[in-house]
Amino acid sequence: MGSNKSLSRRVFLKAAGGVVGASGALAVGSNLLRSLLQENDGPVYLRTSQEEEIISTVCLLCPSGCGMLGRVADGNLVKLEGNPMHPINLGALCPKGQAAPELLYNPDRLTGPLKKIGSRDSGEWEPITWDDAIRVVAGKLTQLRENGQPERAAILYGETRGQMRQFLERFMASIGSPNVISHDSLNIEAAKLGTLFTQGIYDLPVYDLENSNYILSFGANLLEAGRTPQRMVSGHSYLRQGRAVRGKVILIDPRQGITGGKADEWIPIKPGTDAALALGIAHVIIRTGRFDTDFVHNYSFGFDDFVGEDRTLHKGFKSYVLENYDPERVEMITGVPATTITRIAGEFSGNPPAIAVLPGKGGLLNGNLNGMSAAMAILSLNALVGSLETPGGVLTQRYVTCPDWPEMPNDDVAERGRQQERADGAGTLFPLGNHAYQAVADRVLDGYPIEALFLYDANPIYEAPGGGRFKDAFEKIPFIVSFATFLDESANYADLILPEPTFLERWQDDYIEGLGYPGVGLRQPVVEPLFDTMNTGDFLIRVTKEIGGSVSKAFPWDNYKSLLQERLSNIGTGWETLQELGVWLIPGYHFSRRGSERWVDEVVGKDRKKSPRDGRFDFYSRELYCLLEEKNDDLLAAMGAGVSGDELFLPHYEAVVYQGDEKEFPFVLNVVTLMSLGPYSYAANMPSLQEISGMVVGERWGSWMEMNDEYAHKLGFHDKDQVWIESPFGRLQTKLRLVKGMREDIVNIPHNQGHTAIGRWAKDRGVNGLEILNPASEPFTGLASYTNTRVKVYKA
Amino acid sequence: MTKWSMVIDLDKCVACQGCSMACRFENNTPVVSPDEAALGRSIFWNDVFPLRSEEESAIASGQAKFLTRPCMHCEDPPCTKVCPVGATYQDTEGIVRQNYTRCIGCRLCTVACPYGVRYFNWYEPTWEESLERHLTPDQIEGRAVSEGPSIRPKGVVEKCTFCVHRLFKERDRAAAEEREFRTEDFVPACVQTCTAKSRYFGDLDNPNSTVSQLAQSRRAFRLLEEAGTHPKIIYLHEG
Repeated sequence: MGSNKSLSRRVFLKAAGGVVGASGALAVGSNLLRSLLQENDGPVYLRTSQEEEIISTVCLLCPSGCGMLGRVADGNLVKLEGNPMHPINLGALCPKGQAAPELLYNPDRLTGPLKKIGSRDSGEWEPITWDDAIRVVAGKLTQLRENGQPERAAILYGETRGQMRQFLERFMASIGSPNVISHDSLNIEAAKLGTLFTQGIYDLPVYDLENSNYILSFGANLLEAGRTPQRMVSGHSYLRQGRAVRGKVILIDPRQGITGGKADEWIPIKPGTDAALALGIAHVIIRTGRFDTDFVHNYSFGFDDFVGEDRTLHKGFKSYVLENYDPERVEMITGVPATTITRIAGEFSGNPPAIAVLPGKGGLLNGNLNGMSAAMAILSLNALVGSLETPGGVLTQRYVTCPDWPEMPNDDVAERGRQQERADGAGTLFPLGNHAYQAVADRVLDGYPIEALFLYDANPIYEAPGGGRFKDAFEKIPFIVSFATFLDESANYADLILPEPTFLERWQDDYIEGLGYPGVGLRQPVVEPLFDTMNTGDFLIRVTKEIGGSVSKAFPWDNYKSLLQERLSNIGTGWETLQELGVWLIPGYHFSRRGSERWVDEVVGKDRKKSPRDGRFDFYSRELYCLLEEKNDDLLAAMGAGVSGDELFLPHYEAVVYQGDEKEFPFVLNVVTLMSLGPYSYAANMPSLQEISGMVVGERWGSWMEMNDEYAHKLGFHDKDQVWIESPFGRLQTKLRLVKGMREDIVNIPHNQGHTAIGRWAKDRGVNGLEILNPASEPFTGLASYTNTRVKVYKA
Repeated sequence: MTKWSMVIDLDKCVACQGCSMACRFENNTPVVSPDEAALGRSIFWNDVFPLRSEEESAIASGQAKFLTRPCMHCEDPPCTKVCPVGATYQDTEGIVRQNYTRCIGCRLCTVACPYGVRYFNWYEPTWEESLERHLTPDQIEGRAVSEGPSIRPKGVVEKCTFCVHRLFKERDRAAAEEREFRTEDFVPACVQTCTAKSRYFGDLDNPNSTVSQLAQSRRAFRLLEEAGTHPKIIYLHEG
């Protein structure tokens, strides 16, 4: 790392010896003309750049956060390699990371701050200076504060790990708004809530794939998409071919995909029934006594029936599962044969360490409590066989320790504002939710007054199910600011666009997630910013200074970089080393003993707010019980709970309430993220990624819809037919592709096509499957309804 | 003499296409238009694609569902034999190379190659506006020689070179550091970026090299061995 100037001069290699020997050797067996020509070729040499540097940074084309080394030749970024020091990718880079120079040098980038002229959708802009932009934004926020309504400012944000998330929260807190709303409700929130309500940790579980013998993946598309695909691919490689005994991988998913293709066994489960299958497996494990008795009896709660503080007998996990989830019944629900369920249960409990893996998105997030409950059921399997906090099992993510944030200055206006109800209804309308990103549209249309909306790495019109509602909601918001790098679907409706540079041109940190031990990666400008852009952190700090008073006192930093330097001053190394290496780790996962102090403080129970932090894993969720205690059964039923009483607090299965009648709409629509285009909108405007986008079916540059081939033939469809795909919420036309690896009752549309903005390569290409998904939010958790929409398909 | 060779473990490979993209940015292969792509004219020196069931059975005892395919760098390459102008040739370390200056675009080599790894420039390659800035400056040049990442003119054939320009560079680095060049110094871009660590690269003439050892695996096979081309890409099938 560092500079690499030994190669920076022009290199002339003489054609001596082997490598470049285009002359002698070839003459043999060639015709006279050829050898004569080549004799005359003379010396062959490598010509390269004058000056070269290698700069480290961290990728942001998916949530993996891989370390990168940029090769900067004569001032241009010409190549990226994986940073071998970074533990997530260990020197590797996926196609998105490799193609990142197309993001940096994308001709459709915004080149400076813009102000809307005319109406919301006029599409006309004029340049504005940064100083003016700062004054406008500060003026708006000051006005809200003077009116005593700072909660009318809100921010929707996307991928922000490390300090940025905390920074945004602090910024809004200093203004006085509780409305810091993450896109987590579109993807990882169900898994996080499932973990909170069982293990008591509000985070994603970490899987020690390398040391595991048996991976039971419930709809987790480990090798294509999810929270940390690169980390999963590394772990998978080691599990399969890196050690003496090859680990076994089972995928439970209606769609086979690449993960299912590579797995030892693919179980095509009926969509939305994962909870029942997990509980069926638990049934066999309990009935046969193959569970970890030490864990279950000493470190869990609610396994057996118990008498509560209310002096009534409550049903425990054991008797509930034994009574309700025998394999024959589960077969009826899931379509998975009872013999398979019994066998998988035997394999899972008989080959420790074994892991049941949660999906990051899809499969679980249904329109009722079933989604979160499925996550709880799957985590309970890990608890049953004692995989929690064991090598080859489920680990808990730890983070680097940062200095405390300076105390917030006293500010009555801000204090009052922060106590107001959130714009997304998290914690009120959605009693279990922490974020309900997609619900903001409905809430605004229902009258929640947002007067200033900030969009940070957020494109809700495109990325929320039924995101078109945001267009109407935006009409009701008088002031919208987007920090987008491209003129995306949502930025189009903004009053101000204050472009942030790409991740290759800015200072930002990133917490390393997916290995358990703490670590931090550093983004730094690989090249000087190309355009008149500003790091959003810098912009907001300047806004606080313009607002002045307690708001500016909360931000005693000159700029975002100096904030980072202070925040990362305790990680165990200096700034210069971090900058050079691009990554710093405190490697080695230290397992805590069951029941020990660290177990209680860090592994089980620490994030419970209302129930005991006693180091016990909840088979019966006390946290859930406390949160829903005040709601009576009628109210719960009105919210859509399919069960009542103790069952509600135990991992349970309830049938998915689909949008669309099964007879009229026979397929469940599944919008799948692929390795090529990934989850983030801007990747769709990278031409090389478009060119490899549909490798699995041989499609490039567009959309398609997948259907089971045999079933399609029965219905009279042919491969590559143009079809309409219609849900109760709308219809889309695309190309039909027939594949073998999927159930008959689902269809798939790949994510990240069908943009109406962003740039020349993304725009007007293919369809966006999210447009016709159920826009409703799950009533308890505020999660987006990704997988409860039925569709019909007919020829165009 | 060094004999460069690559082993690809199809059990580890997850068909992510990182290799295809690393190759593109290392070697300046152009994006072709959607229409051209639909005609099968995309240029990926290392392509990744799913296997149809009939192809699966053609691959010796393998159960691979996807194939990742660079040039096989055959020990007995059919392509070099048919080139009328000596534009494609095998160098003394076994790399099958392509000189764009000499190529007349007749595509005899493309037809002769049983692996379909030779690509023709139907149009002059272009990069829209500022995208040109990411092109790598590495070029192999000489009188009447233009190879490797050098920008190709319209009407010539191009192909995987095992990133031979990196070999030039590593030899120079060794010289600059006043030490012997080691075979481990050199890996092609696809090997370096492989997300699943499924690629290995080295000297097949050295019996102790990783590639030589893996070539002895019971999982090892080569594509179309019956064609007598003796490929130096060795695959390992699943299991």
